[in-house]
Amino acid sequence: MTAPPPPGPAAAPGTRPGDRAASGAGRAPWRPPLLPTLLVGVVLLVATVLVCVTIGPADLAVVDVARSIAGHLHLGPAAGEPGGVPVLTDAIVWELRLPRVLTGAAVGAGLALAGAVMQSLTRNPLADPYLLGLSSGASLGAVAVLVLGVGLLLPVAAFAGALAALVATLSLARVGGVLTPGRAVLGGLAVSQLAAAGTSFVIFWSATGDSYREILNWLLGSLAGSTWQSVAISTVALVVVGTVLVGSAVRLDAFAFGDTAAAALGIDVDRTRWVLMTLVALLTGAMVAVSGSIGFVGLVLPHAVSAITGPAHRRLLPVAAVVGAISLVWADTGARTLFDPRELPVGIVTALIGVPVFAVLLRRGRGSAWT
Amino acid sequence: MDLRISGVGTRLGGRWVVDGVDATPPPGALTGLLGPNGAGKTTLLRLVAGLLDPEAGAVLVDDVPVHAVPRRERARRIALLEQESSSTVPLTVREVVALGRIPYRTLWGTDTAEAEAVDHALRSADAAHLADRPWAALSGGERQRVHIARALAQEPELLLLDEPTNHLDVSAQLSLLAFVRDLGRTTVAALHDLNLAAAYCAHVLVLAHGRLVAAGDPRTVLTTDLVREVYGVDAVVLTNPRTGRPVIAFGEAAPAPTPGAP
Repeated sequence: MTAPPPPGPAAAPGTRPGDRAASGAGRAPWRPPLLPTLLVGVVLLVATVLVCVTIGPADLAVVDVARSIAGHLHLGPAAGEPGGVPVLTDAIVWELRLPRVLTGAAVGAGLALAGAVMQSLTRNPLADPYLLGLSSGASLGAVAVLVLGVGLLLPVAAFAGALAALVATLSLARVGGVLTPGRAVLGGLAVSQLAAAGTSFVIFWSATGDSYREILNWLLGSLAGSTWQSVAISTVALVVVGTVLVGSAVRLDAFAFGDTAAAALGIDVDRTRWVLMTLVALLTGAMVAVSGSIGFVGLVLPHAVSAITGPAHRRLLPVAAVVGAISLVWADTGARTLFDPRELPVGIVTALIGVPVFAVLLRRGRGSAWT
Repeated sequence: MDLRISGVGTRLGGRWVVDGVDATPPPGALTGLLGPNGAGKTTLLRLVAGLLDPEAGAVLVDDVPVHAVPRRERARRIALLEQESSSTVPLTVREVVALGRIPYRTLWGTDTAEAEAVDHALRSADAAHLADRPWAALSGGERQRVHIARALAQEPELLLLDEPTNHLDVSAQLSLLAFVRDLGRTTVAALHDLNLAAAYCAHVLVLAHGRLVAAGDPRTVLTTDLVREVYGVDAVVLTNPRTGRPVIAFGEAAPAPTPGAP
């Protein structure tokens, strides 16, 4: 029988802000302020770039790197001139290592952003461009252009491939208009395998001696071929798309409790999802065009970073980008030096680090959203 | 806020799941939305929230069709709590409640009133002591309370709740509905439990097959005949001697009409 209702909370003004600290029910996780965190991140990134350029078969000092860069930026004597670095040193820094390191930084940042955004939009902690097939689709598009000589620019083709893979994955994952997180990963698996097979086939079809290595570079990712053009493509995509994504942080927050909750908070759910997913495909396309499909950066980094920044996207996204940049530069430095003179595709290094983290995530995630 | 549901209808898969519903929930009070599974309660709530465009009629909020109100403004005036609402994002309670401020946020960052509004919402929902806990670690009753706080952070004039007492124990059900009733805000709550509706609602709307079959004070609406007609169940309607409100006893009683409802 309905007893007289217990004292209504509306009539219980006993809780004051101060009670929160006194209650001892839990303490808010400490979250560092955004701007100082970003500043520290950027300083570490600059240090990472300078240090990683010195690492390699020819031993260089950070000073040489700084002098070479200064020479090219007309801030100091040019290479070969009195006071400048030797021409050979300058060539190693400016032509070989710096483009590679900078491309790695931009790709790492882009993949981390793409992963964080996809995880929010699909409400699936396992979503990233690699697992959902976008990277493989982009690889297929890029390889098709390279090998078949289709008259399209490489990044455009990679973008088209990523977008096609995205549409295919989401069509497989949508049941009756509802996007189920579990199916997104299964759909991505199928699309990813198909596109990888397509990539291998295209390379074999046009076999030119070294096709195995080339297949590995596209499927596992490699920064070995980086040029200043790679730096330009990846950096422009990162800055343009990254700015829009970070600017959409509030809308991404709204998806935490699903589509209806987001709509009830005033978000145009369908439009937001398609616009942001298309931007992620664009970003992925640009990154894959310069580096092949590197896995696990987009999957692992957003989780690691959100443990520090918290899940609010206006904090998570910029920090994840900086940490992604630092991480991939170090992973690539490992890939090119650990087994010197052999070079590993960087995807092997990211997989070695990423898979154990993936396993931890799987074991922790027992919620309904994972089935 | 003045809410008028005027001849509203919509189809799903060709069938009218909400069909020509006319209703005027009283302002500032708790209205119960009743009816068996599939009667159209959730769809009607979505129509009222403006998340679904009606194929017929309109939902009027202060005489303006709700689906014509811009999204953000609508989200500042109407809050909807879904039936099942969970998240894999590791949010704290405070962060969950802060989501309710999204309709007020500017492109870069928070509105100045955000922290204050979140605190206030947490206190009003009696959830201030939970503020720093991880949302995932809360009990069902606590989660529901936090969701209410999130809705209150939207500072809505109209609160829509889809089966807010689902999965709650008896005590949590009672205190939640008492709390919502005492908010003094226009609230429409879909409810399964007729006794809860009878005890707490000022007004009830009864849906069957998408149509409104009864509306009014639960003391006059909830009769033996209505329960049999709508739910296909024989029931005796008694009066709670302490509150004077109806109590419905379901049973295998003979399908004879039982006097009892005042």
